[in-house]
Amino acid sequence: MSENTHNSFTLVITGAPYTTQAPQTALAFARAAIAKGHTIDRIFLYGDGVHLASSLTTPPSDETHWPNAWASFLSANRVPGVACVASALRRGLVDENEQKRHELTSSNLLAPFEIAGLGEWVEGNIKSSKTLYFHGGH
Amino acid sequence: MTTLIVIDQAPYGLWAGREALDMAFSLATFDQPVSLLFTGAGVNWLRKGQTPDAIEQKSVERNLSAAPVFGIEQLLADEASCQRYGLSPDELIDGANMARGSSGLLASYTNVIFSN
Repeated sequence: MSENTHNSFTLVITGAPYTTQAPQTALAFARAAIAKGHTIDRIFLYGDGVHLASSLTTPPSDETHWPNAWASFLSANRVPGVACVASALRRGLVDENEQKRHELTSSNLLAPFEIAGLGEWVEGNIKSSKTLYFHGGH
Repeated sequence: MTTLIVIDQAPYGLWAGREALDMAFSLATFDQPVSLLFTGAGVNWLRKGQTPDAIEQKSVERNLSAAPVFGIEQLLADEASCQRYGLSPDELIDGANMARGSSGLLASYTNVIFSN
């Protein structure tokens, strides 16, 4: 990837905010990539990464609100943000459709994040010139 | 596009390995070539005769046995790791093969994904 080549990226975030640095590192990368004229095709939240899409996250007021920071970035740049449905349901991240389907008391998916299957990730793998992983663990 | 997914942690302790496995199945469902490499403590995923009922988990051995049916190309076990964990070839589940996990192996795939 030379400096002048246009690249498109799918970013996969598997580390949760406030547990790992992964969402912050991914956001810094996404901002830098767009600033250099590259494209972010989509963000895919997988595993613990789905916690980034919770509308109930409430950090102390002197800490960055990573879900809101990501949501603003996605809206401003019209980048789709997708949380894996299997990861999300296991961890209590639910949109209104899933709330109805599973007869749950509430939903908590932060707009503009969406819930979808791993097929979105597969598509990103095929379409983007690079798929990058932001893991929390080792 | 060919993908190798690498799992280097023992089964049952963390969910990341299962979720990496789901990624492999998903690629295979969309007819994308994918193989799995188990290395380090990860080779224990391929051990025959797992009985995880006592810890209320589903057997990963059963998942992996279905891998060839779903179109996952290869289940590879790093040979040196197998020796370290006392796994002989006949103790591996059917369909798994020993491999010398090396940079050459990783370089032969377009994408290499490490389980979290």
